[in-house]
Amino acid sequence: MIQVSDLTKDYGPRRAIDKLSFSVNKGDVVGFLGPNGAGKSTTMKIITGFMAPSHGTASVAGFDVFENPIEVKKRIGYLPETPPVYADMYVREYLRYVAALKQVPKDKIEKYVDHAIEKTNLGEVQKRLIHHLSKGFKQRVGIAQAIVSDPEVLILDEPTVGLDPKQVAEIRDLIKALKGQHTIILSTHILPEVEATCEKVIIINKGRIVAEDSIHSLATMEKGHQRLHVRLRKDVSDLKSVLAGVSAVTSVTLGASQKEWSIDLAGGEDVVESISSLIVTQGFGLLELTPAKRDLEDVFLKLTYGQESKGGAV
Amino acid sequence: MSGTLTILKKELKGFYFNPTFWVICFLISVIFSWVFPIQLNLFSQLLTNYVMQQGVPSNQLNIHYGVFLRQLSYLNLLLIFVVPALTMKLFAEEKKLRTFDLLLTSPVTSLDIVLGKYFAAWGAVFGLVFVAFLYPLSTSLLATLNWTPLLIAFAGIFLVGGVYAAMDLFASSLTENTIAAYIISIMFNLSIWFIGIGAEVVDSEAGRKIFEHMSLSTHLSALVEGTIRTNGLVFFFSVIVLFCFLAERVVESSRWR
Ligand SMILES: Nc1ncnc2c1ncn2[C@@H]1O[C@H](COP(=O)(O)OP(=O)(O)OP(=O)(O)O)[C@@H](O)[C@H]1O
Ligand SMILES: [Mg+2]
Repeated sequence: MIQVSDLTKDYGPRRAIDKLSFSVNKGDVVGFLGPNGAGKSTTMKIITGFMAPSHGTASVAGFDVFENPIEVKKRIGYLPETPPVYADMYVREYLRYVAALKQVPKDKIEKYVDHAIEKTNLGEVQKRLIHHLSKGFKQRVGIAQAIVSDPEVLILDEPTVGLDPKQVAEIRDLIKALKGQHTIILSTHILPEVEATCEKVIIINKGRIVAEDSIHSLATMEKGHQRLHVRLRKDVSDLKSVLAGVSAVTSVTLGASQKEWSIDLAGGEDVVESISSLIVTQGFGLLELTPAKRDLEDVFLKLTYGQESKGGAV
Repeated sequence: MSGTLTILKKELKGFYFNPTFWVICFLISVIFSWVFPIQLNLFSQLLTNYVMQQGVPSNQLNIHYGVFLRQLSYLNLLLIFVVPALTMKLFAEEKKLRTFDLLLTSPVTSLDIVLGKYFAAWGAVFGLVFVAFLYPLSTSLLATLNWTPLLIAFAGIFLVGGVYAAMDLFASSLTENTIAAYIISIMFNLSIWFIGIGAEVVDSEAGRKIFEHMSLSTHLSALVEGTIRTNGLVFFFSVIVLFCFLAERVVESSRWR
């Protein structure tokens, strides 16, 4: 559906992206991951036909973005970094305008607008001036304008920025609901977002693709390595020596208190089992034992910053 | 083309539903309500004097010259400063607030964008000219008027407003800063009048002709006097087309930066 090859963009002497090539199949949801300034927004702007690249080509649904921009733009819904909303318009009026711009047939505009409003929960503000909306609501209007024409391809630049947790969850559900018929590219810094919504990730750093794969294979790149968080009832001064007998344990680190520890291990479920039984038989009062979802985070940090994280939340 | 219409409709609404526009209309009508009766009064005095003394130039005795043309020159002065205020936001603000991204990623051409905005601006100018036209119209309750030259004169000022709108739209496309757009626009609007002055300064006959042809005042005064000349109309429309074309180029080039 989307083909990008050798895409390069120079801002003056500054190279923002460097020979990017990738392709996205119809119905895929692809996460664009990368640190600040990696070139995610730049790539998206080129695919949407917002600006031309310095070299290389991009095509959407078989149409070259530069030779046939109108055909491409008809098929794309785009949410830029700043939602492109007019402060002096009413939410509904604005969505109608965008639908008309995107060449939705006149008799279908109301239906499409209703649909977009419903999907982004804008019902209660649809008669309000956009100027008076909070940041999160403006972001939602931005998402609504991207989906209002029911485009084949959705390009969302950090779609959940500024939304409250409930909305974040709903937008993720929306994205999941759209996959299949729609091809979606979304950029984000938030890893759980990628894990929750995308099948495929493209990690870029300094304008180059450093990894491109399915979530599953990226996450299991370091197969067999995992981290466990344990929470105990009693203070344990040295868990390391307790677990010394399990050879698969590579390191044991102290958490927030002596009741919380993280254990890195190389091995499968049998190792986890022996660790838990060991703690239980020692009578430390095992309250919690959770495998930490650190895989993608680690992969991400390693690939982009070339370092291994010490775990913890992003 | 449907893109042009969509944008035109949206921008026209943006003008006519905006309180600022009505404030401007109100101010214009305040000015005319003050100036116009004075002019009428002067004119009637002139007429009374004429009965007693003969030395007054005869064209001063025509209400068209005596009152309406004065009003038009005031209107022109107002347009020089008001049209930039209307057009400055058309591109500059869109660029600054990033709403321009929406237009540039919608299935519309740069020409659609420029034409939609241009005709909307011209439509707003129409509103202003119409407000001014209400004054001669009200005079028709008191006196019988010769409608043809009056209408031609107002059409002339409307065309000049269209020229301003084109130049100011171009100015707005050049920058992200609305204040800068406003100032550049006024420079454009004034400079097209100064070209007329060139006609008086230049010595050579050919030079004078060129300046005269490029001068807005030459062409406007013909229209204002109630005569339609083809080369005048050609001049107005070519300036409009030129600046719309330039604005289109600027919009198109923003995709290449
Ligand atoms: N208009 C511009 N002029 C000059 N340089 C630019 C421009 N836009 C972006 N850049 C540069 O291009 C590089 C990539 O920017 P881009 O906005 O694509 O990054 P990003 O991956 O979207 O980052 P973020 O996560 O912060 O949104 C950056 O180094 C940035 O400084
Ligand atoms: Mg970005």
